[in-house]
Order: sequence, then structure tokens, then C-alpha cells
Amino acid sequence: MNALEVTNLTKTFEKIIAVDIASFNVPEGSVFGLIGRNGAGKTTTLRMIMNIYKPDSGEIIFRGKKVEQDFKDSVGYLPEERGLYKKMKVWDTLIFLSELKGKKGKNIERKADSYLERFELTDRKNSKVEDLSKGNQQKVQFIATILHDPEFLIFDEPFAGLDPINTNLLRQIILEMKNEGKVIIFSTHLMDFAEKMCDNIAMIDQGRIILNGELDEIKKKYANRNVSINYEGDISFLRGNPIIEQMEDFGNTTGIKVKKPEQVQELLRLLVEHNIVIKKFNADEISLHEIFVSLAGKEAVNV
Amino acid sequence: MFNRRTLAIIKRELKTKLLNKSFIIMTVLVPLFMFGLIGVQVFIHVVSEDESPNLLVVSETENISKKLKNEFDEYAEVKLGNYKISYETIDSSAFAQRLNNLRDDLLNERLTGIVYVPGKALVNKNVRYYSSNPSNRALFDKIRPGINKALINIYFEDKQLSREDVEFARDNVEITGFRVTKDEKVEEEGYGNMVALFLFTFLLYMALIFSGQSTMLSVVEEKSSRIVEVLLSSASSTELMAGKVIGIVITEVIQMAIWLLPVVMLITTSWFMLPAEFMLQLDLSYILYFLINFTIALFTFVGLFATVGAIFDNPQDAQSGVWPLMILVIIPFLIAMSLQSNPQSNVAKITSLLPFTSLMVMPARFALVDVPVWELALSFAINLAVLFAIFPLAGKIYRVGILVTGKKPKWSEVRKWLKG
Repeated sequence: MNALEVTNLTKTFEKIIAVDIASFNVPEGSVFGLIGRNGAGKTTTLRMIMNIYKPDSGEIIFRGKKVEQDFKDSVGYLPEERGLYKKMKVWDTLIFLSELKGKKGKNIERKADSYLERFELTDRKNSKVEDLSKGNQQKVQFIATILHDPEFLIFDEPFAGLDPINTNLLRQIILEMKNEGKVIIFSTHLMDFAEKMCDNIAMIDQGRIILNGELDEIKKKYANRNVSINYEGDISFLRGNPIIEQMEDFGNTTGIKVKKPEQVQELLRLLVEHNIVIKKFNADEISLHEIFVSLAGKEAVNV
Repeated sequence: MFNRRTLAIIKRELKTKLLNKSFIIMTVLVPLFMFGLIGVQVFIHVVSEDESPNLLVVSETENISKKLKNEFDEYAEVKLGNYKISYETIDSSAFAQRLNNLRDDLLNERLTGIVYVPGKALVNKNVRYYSSNPSNRALFDKIRPGINKALINIYFEDKQLSREDVEFARDNVEITGFRVTKDEKVEEEGYGNMVALFLFTFLLYMALIFSGQSTMLSVVEEKSSRIVEVLLSSASSTELMAGKVIGIVITEVIQMAIWLLPVVMLITTSWFMLPAEFMLQLDLSYILYFLINFTIALFTFVGLFATVGAIFDNPQDAQSGVWPLMILVIIPFLIAMSLQSNPQSNVAKITSLLPFTSLMVMPARFALVDVPVWELALSFAINLAVLFAIFPLAGKIYRVGILVTGKKPKWSEVRKWLKG
């Protein structure tokens, strides 16, 4: 079951095509990563899902219904560039923002109190936002995002600009929400985070979705032609070899992509024949980064 | 457009505005300022009355000197000894020398001034005044009738006229204005409505500029602090704008009502005793009209200022981009102020029905004359039409602009937003 279905989404600003016929699905109960470089179209896509931007064309269906104003009430959205009213008190901010989502009363107040306590902000509840440290302001923003108990969470580059404590805190929140069966979408350019946290991903490059699906499946699919090696010696003889499709040096390890899965054995034979000292030969692993590079292509050293 | 989200935003605006220190201070200070200004003027008037000028009247012939002395001796101020006037008769050629000798006395104010009445004054009535403070209007107004009478007396002395003829000739023309209104009354017109014109026009102008500027800055702040994207994840841009504008309009109307309380008390009670000529010839229906017109003006301008705020992401750029709006407030203000010379001129009549200018000129005109009901109704209709015409456009600019940050947008880009 898909919680969210995005079909042929397109958005143009002036002459720039920010999102180009993008389609992807977000399954129920999953953590979904929208992955891409800066300027790839992630924020624009998320803003269209949030109904902040109107798409030029395309459709966004949430649980069988077109996304409209009502949808906003069931979403907690944390924009990339976070902000609060500086002169407003912490408590007033939380109550105001959840009132905007249609939630108010004793219940919300109790929840706000318990979140403030958990994030060690109880003593700051009557302080103005501007008097808080940046880290504490971020915490307030997290609480504001989840206080109204949304079914759906959208985080745009959530880890950008967070200190290590808040990074952990946010990761905890995401995992908790996941365990409660909530759907979580986040965008990031940090492949490592995406790899650790996502069940499903969509890769976006220059506005186009270049990959979409379950992370495990994707990895399996790409890994069977991929080898990562640690070695000593000179492997430049591999350049131009007909079995090699691509070779990329990641510094510590080198990723090699062969043209057919069965050529992995031949690659190993070639390395041994050329007296390369193999320290690690992993024929079944590929990082999201490698997949991204192999698809988006820009940073790859072409063989 | 109007729903619980708009309501939440209105509530927030009211709370932050009404409980804001500077709002409370402004609300209290402006009436104090208004009354203070009147008080200061009265005080200055009293104090300057209290002064005892020491004048030297210099004339070319004995006859003029004598006649002037006759007239000035009639003055209450002279009788009471407040004015000290001495007389000299000097030939015109010697006057320059005499003036030079008295220079020190004039500079250290032992002598307030020298009134020089040359023989030619009998022909052209030109009199000169020498002083270290040569623009003492209050003094001129005091001594002018005396000099005039003296000159006229001399002029008609040898013309064999009866005393009545001379009396008539030397009287000035007095014009008293009478206000003709519908309710079959003819009232003598005082300065009251001139005061009302300045008061109401100034209040309107000030309130529009202040509320407009603060709206603009608060939108810019929402943009630059990035709270706006958080808000947009809950509310639509239309709800956001509507909530903000309505919230500000409510606070401003409340403030204006408080400001007008003293005026309402002035015209409905007899708690304040004003000289009859300063009495405002207004009734409560004018106040009501003024508030309604003010509300429409606020919606128009607060909406426009909010839109300008949405275009820019920092106060400096916003200030430099707001001039077209400032002109829309300042020009009607100047026209409204100019109505004092003639509230029924063609300019007044036309601009009181034109979009934007009508918002300020009509209440100013209505303070001075009885504007026909159909004209009032027409101006309302025009202003409402303008309001409903510009809001969708303003909303479009607001919707796009509110999320645009970074480079300062060009006007041509803003025009493109209108198409979106």
C-alpha cells in the first residue's frame, strides 16, 4: 500500500525546470528518503507535496485523495531553513503553531509540557525564542513539528546545521515516529544518513527522478555488478579492459563496475594475475553514494 | 479564506500588537500629544501676551507722531503699562544715523523694536519695523490697526468729511462665515471645523503611514526569519495574508477609536469648555463615517504594504521599494490639507471621488462642508471596488513573493508573478 503517490510532477520557475515529470511512491509505514545534490529539486518537490507550491502539472495522491489544504493538518513539516517568531515566547509559539493545525486544548498543552520536559526546556517555556541558544531553538522547532501528532512527517534536509546532540535527538524522533507507524519523508544530500535510515528512496537529479524503490532491492540490483576493493599496486591496466564498465576511486576503496554479473570472477583473476595485493574484495556491496554517482555520473572517473 | 487558521493568525496578531508596549504608549501618547499641542499654544499665547515690548515710534512729521500717540494711548496695553511706547520725529535723512545709534539697544533688547512711519506712508501705507526679531506677527497684528487709524485720520483731516465717513473708511471688512446645513439652521462658522480638518486628516495620515510601515516590516521579518514556510505548511498564503491584514486593521481601528474618544466627549458633553469659535461643528455620525472610511483605507493600504513587504527580504530593500505607496498616502494628504482654502473647489470634488485620494480627501471635505449623501455613497462604492480589485492582485504577488529570498526582485519579475 502506498501512502503517497506522486505522478508526473512538474514545476518550472522562469526558464528553469526545477522538477521534471517526477513520479515516485511512498509506501505506508516507511522512512522515505528523497536524495539528491543541492539544487536537484528536492525542496521544490517537498513544497509541492505540502501544497505550498502549485505544480505546473502532475498529481499528488495521499491515501487515495488528492492533496489539498486538509492534508496540511495531518503533516508535520520541518523546512530546510527553519525559523520561528523571535519575539514570541516558547510556549505561545508551540500553542499557536498547533492551533494552526487545528489542535488545541488541555491535551495539546499536556503534550507540549511533556515534550518540553523531555527536551530539557521546561525552564525556558516562558522565554522569548530569541533568548534561546540556537540548539534550543532547533529543539523548539522539532516540538512544533510533531506536537499536533501528525500522521505524516516531512523533513527537508533535517540534519543540516544541527549539532551532534540535536542530530541524535532528531534521529530518535524519526525512529520513534517510524515505530508508531507514521510515514516519514526526508530529503538529504547526505547519502550516509539516507543509507542508514531509509527503507525506500527516490534519487533526484536535475529535477528528474533517476531511481526509485526499496533500498535493499536497489542495492541488490546494483551490487551484483559492483565490486569494492582495497589493494596495493597499480590497477591502471584495467582501464580499457572490455569487462570493466566503470571504475571510481573513493580514496580508501575503489569501486569497480563490471559489465555482466558473471565477470566478477574474471576481475578477481585479472587482479591476481597482475600481482595486485588484495586486502579486501567485496563483490556484494555498494554504497548509496556509489549508486548515485554511477547514475548521476558527474563525479565518476570514466574508464 | 476566513476559517480557523485565519482566526488563529488574527488572534496572534491581536495578542502581539495589543499587548505590545509601543502600541500602548502610542495609544496613550497621541491624545496627550494632541491636547498637549493645544495646551502649549494657549500657553505660548498667554506668555507672549505677557511680554511688555518697549517700542520706539519714529515718524517724519510732528503731526504723524501726535496722531499715532493719540491712537496708541487708547490701547489697553498702553494704559496698563504693558506696552512702553516713545515717540520721535526725525527727518528721513537722519533716520539711518539714529538707527545706527540705537543698534546696541536693539541687539540687547533694551528696545524691542523701532516702528518707522515715513511721510510717504500717508500715500502708500508702507511702514517699516526694525528689530532683532523682525517677524513678530503677534506684535504687528496689535499695532497695525492703530497705525492704520492714525494714517487715515491724517489723510482725511483736511478733506472736509464727516466723522461717520472717516469711521466707515477706516473700518476693515469683517467676514463672518455662516454654515448652511440641511436641518434648517444657519450657524456661525468658527475655526472649529478647520481644527477638525487638520485633526482628522493628520490622524488618518499618521495612522495609515504607521500601520503600513509596521505591517511591511512585520511581513519582511516573517520572511527573513523563515517562519513563513512553517506557517505555509499549515495555512495557505491567502489565509496568512488575510489573517495578518485583518488582525492589524482591528488593532488600528481600536487605536483610532481610543484616539477619537476625547473628540467624542468634546462634541457630546460639556465637560470641556472651548471658546465658541473653536467648537467643532460635527456630530457623532461624522465620527462613525470617519471610522468606516478609516477601516476601508486601512484594508487598502495595510494590504498593499503587506504585499510590498512580501516582495523584499530585508527592511532596507523594502524601504526603498515602498515609495510608490508612500506617494499614494502623501499626495491625498497634501490635497486634503489644501482644502482649507476652498473645500468645494473642482480639485477637491474630483479627488474626493478618485481611487486612493478619496480615502483622505472625502473625510477632510466632509469635515468642512455638508457633502451630499450620494457623493459619500459613491466614494464608498469606488473605494470598495478598488479594494476588491487590488486584493486578488496583491494576493498573487504575496503568494509568490513570500517564498522568494536572496536577490532583490526586479519590478519586471514582480509583474510576471501577477500572471502566475
